[in-house]
Amino acid sequence: MNPINRRAFIKAAIAAAPASAFLTLPSTAHAAKSARIVVVGGGFGGATAAKYLKLMDSNLDVTLVERQKMYTSCPLSNEVISGHGKIEDLQVGYDGLKKRGINVIFDDAVSIDAGKKTVKLKGGKTLNYDALVLSPGVDFNYAGVEGYSEELANSTHPHAWKAGPQTLALKKQLEGMKDGQTFVLTVPPGPFRCPPGPYERASQVASYFKHHGMNKSKVIIADANDSFSKKGLFEQAWKRQYPGMIEWVAGAAGGKIVKFDAKTNTVSSDFNDYKGDVVNIIPPHHAGAIAKNAGLTNDKGWCPVDMLTMESSKQKDIYVVGDACLHGDLPVYGAPKSAHSAATQAKVACGAIIAKLNGVAAPEPFFVNTCYSITAPEWGFSVVHIYRVKDGKLVYIAEAGGISPVNMEDEAQLVLQRKLESEYAIGWLKNIMADAFA
Amino acid sequence: MRNKMLMALVTIGLAASSAHAATSTENLASTCNACHGLNGVSVGPTMPSIGGLPEAYLKNIMLQWKSGERYSATMGRHFKGYSDAEIAALATHFSKLPWVPVVQKVDAKIIAQGKDASERCETCHGATGSEPDDDETPKINGQWAHYMHMEMLKYRTESLKMPHKKMRNNSKKLDEADVEAVAKYFAAQPK
Repeated sequence: MNPINRRAFIKAAIAAAPASAFLTLPSTAHAAKSARIVVVGGGFGGATAAKYLKLMDSNLDVTLVERQKMYTSCPLSNEVISGHGKIEDLQVGYDGLKKRGINVIFDDAVSIDAGKKTVKLKGGKTLNYDALVLSPGVDFNYAGVEGYSEELANSTHPHAWKAGPQTLALKKQLEGMKDGQTFVLTVPPGPFRCPPGPYERASQVASYFKHHGMNKSKVIIADANDSFSKKGLFEQAWKRQYPGMIEWVAGAAGGKIVKFDAKTNTVSSDFNDYKGDVVNIIPPHHAGAIAKNAGLTNDKGWCPVDMLTMESSKQKDIYVVGDACLHGDLPVYGAPKSAHSAATQAKVACGAIIAKLNGVAAPEPFFVNTCYSITAPEWGFSVVHIYRVKDGKLVYIAEAGGISPVNMEDEAQLVLQRKLESEYAIGWLKNIMADAFA
Repeated sequence: MRNKMLMALVTIGLAASSAHAATSTENLASTCNACHGLNGVSVGPTMPSIGGLPEAYLKNIMLQWKSGERYSATMGRHFKGYSDAEIAALATHFSKLPWVPVVQKVDAKIIAQGKDASERCETCHGATGSEPDDDETPKINGQWAHYMHMEMLKYRTESLKMPHKKMRNNSKKLDEADVEAVAKYFAAQPK
């Protein structure tokens, strides 16, 4: 077949089929000869994007730029802090992606020139792209809590909101606590990465106390928000497992922390002071710095996108996925900033990119998120989100999704439901990590 | 080679043009991978492999979750977001993939215990779980032991809505001590 004929065939196939049908296309099928796709950020979003681009069209020239040689999953990292999980089980390298023919460059992407379609790396290289997938995750706004800083985060006061060395540092601090001492956890205004994460962390800290006979110890959650994800489920778990041990202070009740005094280990809102023996500040965050520098963010620091393709609303041929993007139609979050959201968004972006390279319309997307939280061994629950296209717009499907049932017909059902989901969480992580990195 | 590629493209074109749903089956199926593995082969012990299971079984179970006729911890909340036609198409899609048993290493003693206790399973699933009696019964050889164990806990919980009477009764007849061994016996079977 000559190139023109082949192109016509591919076009016809795509027009009739969704881009994801490329999963079954032979390896010779591609439009532009070796179109160059650069993926910045090797977390769940970026790794999934790199892998699925290659799965959909093996002739694509896919390069993944990532700072670190080993990825550590944020999901299930709260269980490492409490000692219920091991950090090694959350870690994965990039050999799987390399074996799939993806160029993996360990470097820091410092800037994007959307006009010239290039990405500049700290090491000096400049990469050209036909399409760019940006999955930079979040960066922290330390100035959001006066007195807190990156330096403190890396030394005496880890936030541990990116899993890795800080996770282990916080674990060590918890292990140094004595019965009767207080763990203060501060929660920034939404949207933040992993909406139920802070409350799961509080549960895991309480679990550590309970398992070590530290029944007089307390967790105080100083929250900038007035409600939280899976609230009924968490409160039920706290009442059953840790009665009187976890205190949640809503933003309206003075929980919004604006100041930190490292000398006295005290965080303050405009109304209250909270002194802790361990103070764990989750600073406010926004899209990774590279997104802002490239002009991809809105005034709140997140990246608006075309919700059906994940293409940036600000720059063509740049697709923003994962925690950095603003996606979905729910209040505050749009779509929750989770590993599962990032992975689904990545798959949608891959379909849209390949369709565009082949000069056809993007396929209709389907988004799903499943997010598990574990409050104690054998006690887990989840939230499910499904988003579909209706009348040309992405909407949350209210008939589906939602949180695990808070109450069930009898105790046996409830105990089984929570046990199952605590176990599913672990199977979910293994599969979603393999789906992204293997 | 050219002909092969051409055939593949035409086939895809035809398959797609007969698809009624706006969101393609492949598109939907790729989101299942996150929990059930690429091509429906799970690498997580608590999540079942689904690639290569019988079409009728897959379709029934998804429809039952959707309607609430069958209890699920999580899946019902997913399938309320899918049309019946999409569910049928997903069942077809996954049933056409190869069944790849994930053969798990199990202590010989446990295998013997599980085999002894698995007699009642044999009629429907086959001696090693690879030859189900009909299209509504899943293969269970090389399925994840941890998943099967938890599935039996569901059938053994009296008040839960689990519609398959035979499976319910037989699960309950197992001695508590044998449940895990039976799951492990089937998990260890390559074929």
